Amino acid sequence: MNTDELVAHGRSRFEHAAARRTLKEKYQAKLTFAHAGGMWSAGPELLATLSACTGPESVILDLYETPIKVTPNEFRDLVRNHWQEQMNAWLVEYEELNKNR
Amino acid sequence: MTTGALIFARNNEHIDYVAMARWSARNIERHLGIPTHIVTDDSTPATNARHFTDVGAVTWHNLNRMDAYGSTPWDRTLVLDADYIVASNQLQSVLEADQDFLAHRWAYDVTGCNTFEGLNSFGNNRMPMWWATVMMFRKSKPAELIFDSMKMIRDNWAHYRKLYKNTNATYRNDHALSIALGIVNGHTLDHAGIPWALASLTPGHKLTQIDQDRYRVDFVNSENKSRWIELHQDFHAMGKQQLGAIVANPC
Repeated sequence: MNTDELVAHGRSRFEHAAARRTLKEKYQAKLTFAHAGGMWSAGPELLATLSACTGPESVILDLYETPIKVTPNEFRDLVRNHWQEQMNAWLVEYEELNKNR
Repeated sequence: MTTGALIFARNNEHIDYVAMARWSARNIERHLGIPTHIVTDDSTPATNARHFTDVGAVTWHNLNRMDAYGSTPWDRTLVLDADYIVASNQLQSVLEADQDFLAHRWAYDVTGCNTFEGLNSFGNNRMPMWWATVMMFRKSKPAELIFDSMKMIRDNWAHYRKLYKNTNATYRNDHALSIALGIVNGHTLDHAGIPWALASLTPGHKLTQIDQDRYRVDFVNSENKSRWIELHQDFHAMGKQQLGAIVANPC
């Protein structure tokens, strides 16, 4: 076994993992937004919650575990758009990261 | 309800914090659309000293942060360090949050070179640390109590330092804020925070400005290879000297 190669590979993996983690931190911030007096993180969990709401108005918990009254249909569109907008930007940066690797 | 930013800026031997604050105020106006009030002087004696890796030992005029509550002309205030770079509208969501007080619980190194494990807690008991770099508060009893507690902690620093087994003799606003939040919230550690980590750049890395809201960071990674990343986000530039150079010659 070539230990130099092993060490180099391990370090390279470490660097890549660190860069991915940093990217995740960045987009976790960008996925966060305020609406109807609550703070939300756009993503599948929130979308699933909103899909479970059937009435014209529903009360759901925000990131601070505060109950907030929202209009599910309208809010779902907003969340979906914000989520995909940021995910697309994340993908662009992620591909750039892999290319540099 | 009026909303604005507040920046404390007092120059020392090496760093022109006032210029930094003015530059930051323009960024805040551009991205968040709010005015900034800069506190440039006060009667607090500058008794603190701190060593920064890029500029060495300096007089550190940081003892008056808890005056934010009394100094602000706004109903809702965003208190920022002069070296916090606003390069997006990310903080807009913080200003819209229905909370009395918010600050960052976590910080991370944007280059991934350093773990902030030791910086996200303080003292021998590893108390959770809340960063005073970005604070949002609205005029309210809880916020007033937090700042009053910070003042009490600062004025009795020797006692609180001992109580929290803090090995760091230098007073830090982050430590005072963390202790104050504990006192005000009944030591539950249940404080609402800004729901993302504070992007930070340590002084060891080279920071340059590419254009108005994009920055380049050059650093050496664990493989001892030169690397660079581009930042197009808000971040805390801990390297005061490099930020000073950017402020002196902005894009």
